[in-house]
Amino acid sequence: MLDPRPSDSEIAHGRGLIKSPSDLAAGMFLLALAAVGYFGSLSLKFGTLSNIGPGLMPRSIAVLVGAFGVLLIVQSFFFHGSRLERWSIRGPFFILGAIVLFALTIRGTAIPIDGKQVQVVPALGLLVAGPLAMIFSGFASNETKLKEIIPFALVLTALCYLMFKVVLRLPIPVLPILLGY
Amino acid sequence: MGELLSNLGLGLGVALTFKNIALCFIGCLVGTLIGVLPGVGPIATIAMLLPITFGLDPVGALIMLAGIYYGAQYGGSTTAILVNIPGEATSVVTALDGHQMARNGQAGAALGLAAIGSFIAGCIATLVIAALGKPLTAMALLFGPADYFALMVLGLMFAVVLARGSVPKAMAMILVGVLLSTVGTDLETGDERLTFGWTDISDGLEFAAIAMGIFGFAEIVKNLENPEARDVVKMKMGRLLPSKEQFAKAFKPILRGTFLGSALGILPGNGAVLGPFASYSLEKKLSSDPSQFGKGAVEGVAGPESANNAGAQTAFIPLLTLGIPPNAVMALMVGAMQIHGIVPGPQIISKQPELFWGMIASMWIGNLMLLVINLPLIGLWVRLLKVPYRLMFPSIILFCCIGIYSVNNNPFEVMLAAGFGLFGYALLKFGFEPAPLILGYVLGRLMEEKLRQALVISRGSFWTFLERPLSGGILLVALVLAIIALLPSIQKSRDKVFVDD
Repeated sequence: MLDPRPSDSEIAHGRGLIKSPSDLAAGMFLLALAAVGYFGSLSLKFGTLSNIGPGLMPRSIAVLVGAFGVLLIVQSFFFHGSRLERWSIRGPFFILGAIVLFALTIRGTAIPIDGKQVQVVPALGLLVAGPLAMIFSGFASNETKLKEIIPFALVLTALCYLMFKVVLRLPIPVLPILLGY
Repeated sequence: MGELLSNLGLGLGVALTFKNIALCFIGCLVGTLIGVLPGVGPIATIAMLLPITFGLDPVGALIMLAGIYYGAQYGGSTTAILVNIPGEATSVVTALDGHQMARNGQAGAALGLAAIGSFIAGCIATLVIAALGKPLTAMALLFGPADYFALMVLGLMFAVVLARGSVPKAMAMILVGVLLSTVGTDLETGDERLTFGWTDISDGLEFAAIAMGIFGFAEIVKNLENPEARDVVKMKMGRLLPSKEQFAKAFKPILRGTFLGSALGILPGNGAVLGPFASYSLEKKLSSDPSQFGKGAVEGVAGPESANNAGAQTAFIPLLTLGIPPNAVMALMVGAMQIHGIVPGPQIISKQPELFWGMIASMWIGNLMLLVINLPLIGLWVRLLKVPYRLMFPSIILFCCIGIYSVNNNPFEVMLAAGFGLFGYALLKFGFEPAPLILGYVLGRLMEEKLRQALVISRGSFWTFLERPLSGGILLVALVLAIIALLPSIQKSRDKVFVDD
């Protein structure tokens, strides 16, 4: 659920210096974002009020974000909040990894090495990238059964092929190795 | 009045031919089916289905396009309610309480409310367009850049009211959203901002990638972490339509949402986006039980959905009368019209009345079609929720990947979505809410543009925002809203509220 309110068991009832570890972490996260935004746009002209330059908005907003970060950090020393949540590795790795796999294989990936474009990943098209992504993502859950997900992935990809490629004629590569683009 | 009736009569005469009704029906059906797919929002749907209209005559093509448009909007709302993946900025609000209703086993009621609310809103909005189109456009032209900027600031304040948790965190999210909107090429100077050398984002971050990543992928990861919370949804089926009590509760919000959405949709410049947010804030303030908002409040779905549909319809006014597309979806429609030889602009009403009024009449028919198509389909959608999650989430991933890829045929954007998935996961872990970020992102560019224009016109004087009556008034309302929102957020009293819950 996208509900960030802390439940009673999650509130850090310590008597330590930091009364709200999650607010501290959140504040640091904001500061990091603000830093990226600020230093990333340092090279842009700030401009004047009557002639606003490209740098004014990103830098000003970054400063404001940073201010909120500082506010949260200060708040974390005074008000009780929730403990830090634990991050899981398996879920993000397999879900996001599946998406990355799809992106890499749908049209292939070429990396410039020594000035030349080297095709590191061949263009496998929808018929391979689709099931690959689906099956890889399945490993994120311990409820997934290979005997189930593999045929399901193949059928669903075939349906997507029918719908997006045949009916709608979208320019998605299907299976470049065999069928070309 | 007589002129209005004769115009409507002309329109109905055009729209009620068998061929045009059929085109409208096909458009609505196809738009809904594609729009329902998680990962394929209204923009992608319309872009995909546009070529279907190529062989048709201009009036027919426009009618079918309009059908696809509403269908896609409604399909997007369906996805927002069922799987918490908003396909467009306007669906973000629907997802808030709509998805909670689905989790409470009331998916059917939520979908029904969305459909009925949209229909009522659409009917009223059509009348608004028919009767007030021309004078309203004149009024909308009174809005100068300073007034627009003030309106955007007000819009961002709404996002704060949307916050279910900490107000400072919500405000921070809005600002992060605005920061994200600055990524890309600066429109005025051509400088690249925050692109770090990646040419793929020199046009800015793709909205679909952000939405899919932060809402879709992050949600899936979160769901996998809490299988108990997720399985509860499957147990309850609930009614397929809203109950009489629910509908009675929803009626006034529907009317208020329609009014808000219609008014905001007319403003050229994506005013329609503000409609659902404004409606949600209004309903939350007016409600006898505001704590329900965020947990599945009926008013939180009915109002914004009506505002959404009303805004979507009245957004046609600046399009048809001024030729100005207020958002990306409308820009696609303009492109489609131009392909068919229609040039939107002030002369359309006088030179091609059958086109204008035929379109208006077909809007009403389209709304009716949506209701007819979707109410029976609600049973189907609700049954989809029963698919085991271990099969559901890979499907969502597949659709999202295809959907994002299809927007610009660029695999980089799929990668970007994965990156935003990680970002969204981090946001959830740190206790931030994504909805205000999306609003900040959508409004950011426009805000900056209007701010620049306003300051150029006033030669660098900030006083212009207070001197102009319209913008001064709007900023005052925003300030009041901010104060109301900040008052209860004194941390100690808020902690007390949590503990007492």
